[in-house]
Amino acid sequence: MPEARRIRAVIVDDEAPARALLREYLGAEPDVDLVAECGNGFEALKKIGELEPDLVLLDVQMPKLDGFEVLELLEKRPAVVFVTAYDEYALKAFEVHAADYVLKPIGRERLAEAIRQVRARLAAPVAAVPVASPAALANAARAPGQHLERVLIKDGANVHVIPVELVDWIEAQDDYVGVRAEGKTHLKPQPIAEIAAALDPARFVRIHRSYVLNVDRLARLELYAKDSRIAILKDGKQLPVSRAGYARLKELL
Amino acid sequence: MHPLLSGRVRPILYLAMWAGIGALLGAVMAALSPRPLAHTVAFIAPLSVFYAFACLSAWWVCRANPLAMTPPARVLTVIVSASLQAAALWVALGALYAALLGRFAHIGPERAGIFRDLAVLGIAGIVLYAQSMAGHYFLLSIETARAAERQIFASQVTAREAELRALRAQLNPHFLFNSLNSISALAGSEPEAARRMCQLLGDFLRTSLSLGARESVAFGEELALAERYLAVEQVRFGARLGFEKSVAPDAERCLVPPLLIQPLIENAVKHGVADRVEGGTVRVTAAVRGGALEIAVENPRDPEAPPRRGQGMGLENVKQRLNALDPQHARLDVYREADAFRVRLTLPASGDGAGGAHA
Repeated sequence: MPEARRIRAVIVDDEAPARALLREYLGAEPDVDLVAECGNGFEALKKIGELEPDLVLLDVQMPKLDGFEVLELLEKRPAVVFVTAYDEYALKAFEVHAADYVLKPIGRERLAEAIRQVRARLAAPVAAVPVASPAALANAARAPGQHLERVLIKDGANVHVIPVELVDWIEAQDDYVGVRAEGKTHLKPQPIAEIAAALDPARFVRIHRSYVLNVDRLARLELYAKDSRIAILKDGKQLPVSRAGYARLKELL
Repeated sequence: MHPLLSGRVRPILYLAMWAGIGALLGAVMAALSPRPLAHTVAFIAPLSVFYAFACLSAWWVCRANPLAMTPPARVLTVIVSASLQAAALWVALGALYAALLGRFAHIGPERAGIFRDLAVLGIAGIVLYAQSMAGHYFLLSIETARAAERQIFASQVTAREAELRALRAQLNPHFLFNSLNSISALAGSEPEAARRMCQLLGDFLRTSLSLGARESVAFGEELALAERYLAVEQVRFGARLGFEKSVAPDAERCLVPPLLIQPLIENAVKHGVADRVEGGTVRVTAAVRGGALEIAVENPRDPEAPPRRGQGMGLENVKQRLNALDPQHARLDVYREADAFRVRLTLPASGDGAGGAHA
């Protein structure tokens, strides 16, 4: 392996002056090549997916997708240095194993130190670099005590953003969940228990091992056999309700 | 603790007053049934000291029957019955004491004289105790008034503190951090622009501090502050941030609490511009209608954006301040549509612009 490997970097920030400053500072690093600059979360997702850079300098608050949501949706994750004016995300940043967390206004020396961290991380054997699970990432995208407000689904180059109030129900399908909203089912690679835990329990109930229901959609319950019931939704759709699911539903209603 | 017994001066004054009362009673008794001065003093002095303390009991009687919560007829009954009881006790004690003086010291008038002395004690006892109750009610009312005054003062302090907190919170630190970062960026490539930005930021800070120190400001000044703020933000967001205003001249002359619309402008930039890829235009409209100043701040919004933390804080603060200003006529209406967000403030028009509606 060559000892001086080059670092391909992407800058993600919605403010032009902030990008200019990062560009200037990166220009002073001999081994860093700037391969793209992005002004919002969607663009970042697309560019990072295409270019597979080694390093992303990532702002947190941006239009469309925030920095944590971008990370959640990435399949292959580069080293990340968060660059933001907000110090309250630092803890979350380290939960998702960010290489560093730099506060604005950014100092040249401070950014250089972050780049040194990244170099060390890239030089380490792959197994030694901690990788956050998608669950940790999804949790990091929310404030503590806050419930999931929108479900993000990556579909090729597109991202569907589904506000949770539009979700009718969620169905487990092997390693995926099918999220049903506005007449369409979107597949997302996530265990159903994980998404059920992230949703607001006052609105979404795990009615069955394989189903999570938005209770606003429930029309009525019918007894189907001893100990098992069927939930009839307002659009006529029928979903199975287990005994434990019925108990949870009864507690809520 | 009884208020007349607290401190050093009050008990002395109170006893001095009773020395006078005792002397007066003694003079009356001596006039009715003449006797040597020493005999009069020996009889009346201990009884006066006793009644001086007995009258202090009126404090607890008054406190148990506060004027504000007791019907007047009941107050009168309490005064009469307490006075009669106290006087009866005094007369009984006086009779016992006179008998003891006569038996063991061989001083004091004959039987008819003792009855005259006791009659004086009885009448004076009723009058003095009733006086004492009136005096104590007076003391209590002063105390209540003071407590109310303290409470009003305390609530004014609380309100002012809330105001100051609001003003401090409005000097949004993230705005400063981001602005400094922009200046740092410009310093390398466009030093002139960096200097201009320093000046804009300085202007904004100075104006917001000076407006914040005042009770009320003309809406036009408030608007000028918002424009300075937007000028700074325009350096960060570039063409993404647009601003339009449509403000009637009489509205500009109306008086408003300082920095009232500033948090609304900041929210509009955050949600209408910073959260949208294409940015947006912040619109401010204001007019005077029917004696009321109506101000609206509007921004586009991303229908997919989730409600961010802290979004309600600025609005809540504005609502509280309007409520403190005039709960009857000032109000805040929030219109949250799919792709736009609008806040309308309505407050009584005051100052130079107030007459504009009738012109």
